[in-house]
Amino acid sequence: MDQHTPANSVIYLEDIFRVYDMGVERVYALRGVTVGVARNEYVAIMGPSGSGKSTLMNLIGCLDTPSTGNYYFNGANVAGLDDNELAEIRNKEIGFVFQTFNLLPRSDALHNVELPLIYAGVKKEERLERAYAALESVGLADRATHKPNELSGGQRQRVAIARALVTRPSILLADEPTGNLDSKTGEDIMRFFQELHDKGNTIILVTHEEDIAHHAHRIVRIRDGVVERDEMTR
Amino acid sequence: MKLITDTREGLVIALTAVRANPLRSALTMLGIIIGIFTVTLMGAFLDGMDQLFRKTASSMMTDVYFIDKWSWGGGDWRLMRNRPDIQEDYLNQLRAKMTTASVFSMSIGKWGQNIIFKNRSVQFVNADGVDEGYLQTNSLDIQYGRFFTSAELISARPVCVIGYEIASKLFPNSSPLGEVVRVSGYPLQIIGVAKRVGGLFSVFTADNAVIMPYHTLQTVYGEKHQTVTIGVKAKSVDHKLDTRDELEFYMRQIRKLKPSDQLNFGINNQDQFNQSIDKITGLLSIVGFLITGLSLLVGGIGIMNIMFVSVKERTREIGIRKAIGATRRSLVFQFLYEATILSLIAGLIALALAYPVTILANNLLLADSDLQIAFPIFYAALGLGLAIATGIIFGIAPALKASRLDPIDALRYE
Repeated sequence: MDQHTPANSVIYLEDIFRVYDMGVERVYALRGVTVGVARNEYVAIMGPSGSGKSTLMNLIGCLDTPSTGNYYFNGANVAGLDDNELAEIRNKEIGFVFQTFNLLPRSDALHNVELPLIYAGVKKEERLERAYAALESVGLADRATHKPNELSGGQRQRVAIARALVTRPSILLADEPTGNLDSKTGEDIMRFFQELHDKGNTIILVTHEEDIAHHAHRIVRIRDGVVERDEMTR
Repeated sequence: MKLITDTREGLVIALTAVRANPLRSALTMLGIIIGIFTVTLMGAFLDGMDQLFRKTASSMMTDVYFIDKWSWGGGDWRLMRNRPDIQEDYLNQLRAKMTTASVFSMSIGKWGQNIIFKNRSVQFVNADGVDEGYLQTNSLDIQYGRFFTSAELISARPVCVIGYEIASKLFPNSSPLGEVVRVSGYPLQIIGVAKRVGGLFSVFTADNAVIMPYHTLQTVYGEKHQTVTIGVKAKSVDHKLDTRDELEFYMRQIRKLKPSDQLNFGINNQDQFNQSIDKITGLLSIVGFLITGLSLLVGGIGIMNIMFVSVKERTREIGIRKAIGATRRSLVFQFLYEATILSLIAGLIALALAYPVTILANNLLLADSDLQIAFPIFYAALGLGLAIATGIIFGIAPALKASRLDPIDALRYE
């Protein structure tokens, strides 16, 4: 995909290495990955366990920083940022969707969705309004006061998606979003991602399942810490 | 703005956490509760003691100086023992020379006497031989009966005025006036009962004294001896220090002391007494704060421990919060709030317990006592402040630990 450059991509990873120092041994999780994602792309990152897929996802999600290489987010290099600056990027630019939903168990749906806005310092009225709107957009406005354990798996994942969308992030980063769901509910969620993409969202999907990956329009395959194949699927 | 939202989220999280583990929270708070409870009760007690001390002390007036062999403020006891006695004739010399004094008195005190009426007796009373001026210099008030007449004083009549406590012990159901008691075997007729002084040291006040004419005391205990106490009341309260200086000047003259010599007598005043009281209450408060400090230390370690557990338990939650954009600062705040709320609730519980305890103690235990205690607002506020400070101080380490967790590890934690 050589048409990607730091300037025209939402995210652009350039010759990324990630090395873990395990005492005497040095483990290379990523060995020179270069990949870019343009606005409104729908990309799946695939790879078996141990491929470096998770490491790549953590780097894209700004949960981790590369050992060497550059990572451009909306054109700005974020590779050398400190914890607080990364927290701000995660807060404003990245919407996470996890396999295990990762909702706060003691908070209701509305508060879970509201949470990123709290850390963004948004005022209360606006926060509640936006959180409620986000819940509405995933079809769960009537479940606002329900705690996660009062919701089904699919509903939980949709609350998580609402939480991811509420800050209007540049990318939606979904890590095995259907992994904990039955196949029918999983299909529902994937259809929902399709709708989000149709509305203009940029989606990066991390999975090891071929049929899930094929919902995306492009598949980046990782193996042994390098990009093995990068292909358009439709 | 950010601080306000952080604050609100911190409070919500803290209250949720406390509600989720009420028993554990309660156990954690126990140390703090004990600490704040202690400081509050201690404060109530200190305040009560302080008032009592002052009440006792104010039964002696501040504008009266007492020339005595002993100095009240303390000092080397062996040195004071070897001082020359205060002689009776000093009184006349001082009376002749001093211009700033209004009233003089002379008295002798004998400690540890007994007083008997029929089959009742009171041990360890003070027998005081006094003159006319005593009534004013020692601000003695007569409740029933009367004080001595000049004739009684001069002619050493066997009469006495007894203190309130002695009266209530010897004559629980009848009037003591006119009755004859035996003081160290010598019969004295009661002509008056002194008004109750109250206070902590009633053993040292008129409450526990049998007061008789100066010469009567000499008859009872034998004439030769002994050091007297001379009371000198200043003409003006505002210029009492002038009176003191004049008194010292003439006493030095009487004792033939050079200006460079140390005094070999005491010039005592209630102000000195107040100073020594301050030392005592100061010592008491040091002990109180040591106890409180220890309880808070134990309580604080409890809070720290439970906060570490809380951080461990909520590792995943911390990971989630970090992933969606919580900064280190937000997380430090969150856990500090939790620790502080725990300790603040503990402080409030302690005050809620201490309040009825002070009231009950005052109304039941201390009903007949001179010691009166009230809920001490100052110490209650201090206690709350200490509780909050404990929460913050002992919450810091767990809060920092939480804020430094790696989000990837934290998210993976199960």
